Amino acid sequence: MPIDFRLTEEQKQLQALARRFAKEVILPAAAEYDEKEEVPWPIIERLHEVGLLNAIIPEAYGGMGLKMLDEVIVGEELAYACMGIYTIPMASDLGITPVLLAGTPEQKERFLRPLTEKPALAAFALSEPGNGSDAAALKTRAVRQGDYYILNGTKMWISNGGEAEWVVVFATLNPELRHRGVVALVVEKGTPGFKAVKLHGKMGQRASGTYELIFEDVKVPVANRLGEEGEGFKIAMNTLNKTRIPVAAGSVGVARRALDEAKKYAKEREAFGQPIANFQAIQFKLADMMIGLETARMYTYYAAWLADQGLPHAHASAIAKAYASEVAFEAANQAIQIHGGYGYMREFPVEKLLRDVKLNQIYEGTNEIQRLIIARHVLAE
Amino acid sequence: MILVVLDHDGNRLRKGSLEALTRARALAEALGTQVAGVLLSEGQAPVEEARGHVATLFVAELGPYTPEKWAAGVLAAAKDGVKAIVAPSSRQSRTYLGRVAYALKAGLLEDTLESWAEGGMVYATRYAYLNRVTQKVRAALPVVLTVKPNTTPLAQPLGSMGEVVPLSVPQVATVEVLERVQEEKKGVSLTEANVVVTGGRGLGSAEAFKEVEELAALLGGAVGATRAVVDAGWRPYAEQVGQTGKTVQPALYIALGVSGAVQHLAGMNKSKYIVAVNKDPDAPIFKHADYGIVGDVHQVLPALIQTVKKLKD
Amino acid sequence: MKFVAVIRQVPDGESRLKVQGERVDLSGATLILDQMDEYAVEEALRLKEKHGGEAIVVGFGPERTEEAIRTALAMGMDRGVHVVFEGHADPVAVAEALAPVLREEAPTLVLTGGQQADWDSQALGGALAEALGVPVVAWTTALELEGETAKAKHDLDEGAEWVRVRLPAVFTTQQGLNEPRYPTLPGIMKAKKKEIRKVQVSLSPKVELLSEEIQEKARLGKVLDGKDPAQAAEELVRLLHEEAKVI
Repeated sequence: MPIDFRLTEEQKQLQALARRFAKEVILPAAAEYDEKEEVPWPIIERLHEVGLLNAIIPEAYGGMGLKMLDEVIVGEELAYACMGIYTIPMASDLGITPVLLAGTPEQKERFLRPLTEKPALAAFALSEPGNGSDAAALKTRAVRQGDYYILNGTKMWISNGGEAEWVVVFATLNPELRHRGVVALVVEKGTPGFKAVKLHGKMGQRASGTYELIFEDVKVPVANRLGEEGEGFKIAMNTLNKTRIPVAAGSVGVARRALDEAKKYAKEREAFGQPIANFQAIQFKLADMMIGLETARMYTYYAAWLADQGLPHAHASAIAKAYASEVAFEAANQAIQIHGGYGYMREFPVEKLLRDVKLNQIYEGTNEIQRLIIARHVLAE
Repeated sequence: MILVVLDHDGNRLRKGSLEALTRARALAEALGTQVAGVLLSEGQAPVEEARGHVATLFVAELGPYTPEKWAAGVLAAAKDGVKAIVAPSSRQSRTYLGRVAYALKAGLLEDTLESWAEGGMVYATRYAYLNRVTQKVRAALPVVLTVKPNTTPLAQPLGSMGEVVPLSVPQVATVEVLERVQEEKKGVSLTEANVVVTGGRGLGSAEAFKEVEELAALLGGAVGATRAVVDAGWRPYAEQVGQTGKTVQPALYIALGVSGAVQHLAGMNKSKYIVAVNKDPDAPIFKHADYGIVGDVHQVLPALIQTVKKLKD
Repeated sequence: MKFVAVIRQVPDGESRLKVQGERVDLSGATLILDQMDEYAVEEALRLKEKHGGEAIVVGFGPERTEEAIRTALAMGMDRGVHVVFEGHADPVAVAEALAPVLREEAPTLVLTGGQQADWDSQALGGALAEALGVPVVAWTTALELEGETAKAKHDLDEGAEWVRVRLPAVFTTQQGLNEPRYPTLPGIMKAKKKEIRKVQVSLSPKVELLSEEIQEKARLGKVLDGKDPAQAAEELVRLLHEEAKVI
């Protein structure tokens, strides 16, 4: 297949839609929701209205069937305006993906279609208070009782956990079996014994709701199990292999925003009788930001393309996620540096970029875990 | 013949008509022809004043304005051959002269800054791309040309009274005017004003515009508003300056609590002097300002009013 | 019923413009459906939703204009006609080129933006109306169909008025008439399958574009500190009176 870096006509329209939405709807509200640490539900409703929410759901189940490359294009635009707000639809896709990968047609119909008919979210619950990176060491227990599993335990750092219509929960049937003992269960909102507690005091991405989920003797029908018993861990890993790519896309959006803000300020701000953009010390920073932005975007597109072609993409999505989030963090950092004292103040948007994008180095697998995945790939050859 | 369309308010010719006359006389001289005027009205018209400016004055009373009637009136006046039709630029003239230009298959030179004739062609400069680009254009005769307000010296009367020729204009009755919604008339018209005082979102409320009105009145100017202010319902749309509102080019433009979005700049960036008052020193408006005060508009505006009052005394 | 919106593609007001060889170079600019024309598209859609029939977008301009036509289709227009022409054209020439297409469509009414964001022309509505021999209502802010006529509110140079106009007619559109919808993602997908008929035209321009330049007026940039408002106001008024001599 020839290499073609052009976007299709539809992708350009999609990009224009997402860009306009970001500028007109997200950008004016971003600082306010960051300040209030509140989920911007009106924005979620608007996202649904224009068709950008849960758009990866296939057309057969009422969705738009967006491919990964489409999602990446949208992600960059939305995150440009606010990474925290972008995390909400992104984390919903994270919840949807295991259903796409392992759900039966009946489950897809039951769980996915409602997410296309109204503004609604999904969530994905893997991390626990005592385990993050060591995902196979999970302690949430599922015990089979007839047509149900009885679920007990606590999940931590769950984006959308309190808003979601349903959460894909990973639990163990037998901790000794480690990853071979994991089962993936869809737990619906309002199921007795299931409680979501919002976590407050986040450094950044404060518009996205992050929750602790508590399960006390929650009865989950066996019909809500994705795949077979023991397949849960594989489902989780295959999900993350994909959904790390939108994290990279969000990072690219933040990096672009940081460069734009830095460029604007450098041209306006004067020192020693001229705009600071005239100084090489500033120019080199801007050039480095540009190098990072362009390479991160290209590699993110590549990872998305691999995923869309059905080619192996675990290591590429790991590279994209780790690289783009580090590029974006550095870009935000340098944008603050260029702004000097003003960059440290809330009145200017750059300090928020840094607070927000720090999380991109942590969630959906820390960058250290990404490096383990990449190293494993290197050593396997 | 160069036909100049004399716009008026029923009692007096508008300032723009005197600018159009100056342009028309220059074209007539270069093209070796005469200037005639056409005075269309809904009822009352300043016939005597108009006669003082042209040798021939076509007049017609047409009833309530419609583009169709006005186009028919201009075409009736132009029916014996015309080299150029010159009119003050306004939203109405730019509409009905679109009809006229099409009917004559003439070159339409809209909202021109300057115009001149050379080698049997008419040249003009005009703004494009939302006031950001200056185009030089030309067209063969006949041309229809509108004159941007505040670009041209005002014509003086000729010292003799022209002949009045009543026009017979064919009836057009495709549009029926049901109801006029007159905006409360406050001072001079926004597009022709020499001074425009515009308030932005920084003013904080509709009430704050009382002081904007006061300053505008003191300076003999008109009140303008930004889109944000109009969207908030603080001021009528008729006062909106910018891409989707009116374009103004006064000698003095005072922007109070206006941040300076590109869309707003498109409507005022050609003003001779721009003054900005804003509490944010990084507001883009300061980059386009000749004079500025970084400060709280609620304190600066009353101080400005007091100082201007003192100056007047 | 048939509702036609005439649109063009123009640079976004926020894009930076360059001039190359005395012509505006749009290669680096973001090009969009003219925002004034967007109101025309939205109104055509609303009329169609209310009264039934067909909403058609007619685009004028170079090949790239197809993007703007697609945007209108993604907003919900039923089909498109693209009158292809490369270069600068005055409103009379544009109206001449569009007239045969519009006559063939025989629409109930035609809508187009009040002013073009590239050539700053306000005359296309009037010229189109003359070409079709129908009335024009300019700067429309409200529009309702009433049988063979339409009732509309529109701006005058001063004030506004309600008129009743015989159909077909041309309406020019502006802010305040409606709130244009987004071209949604489902809309974008559906637009892929909608027809765009291409019409090649040769024009006889009446106005020749000789040159274009960007003249940024150099501003004085004298900014005063307003911590003492009375003092700052006094200094400003002095400058306006003695230096600029405008008051």
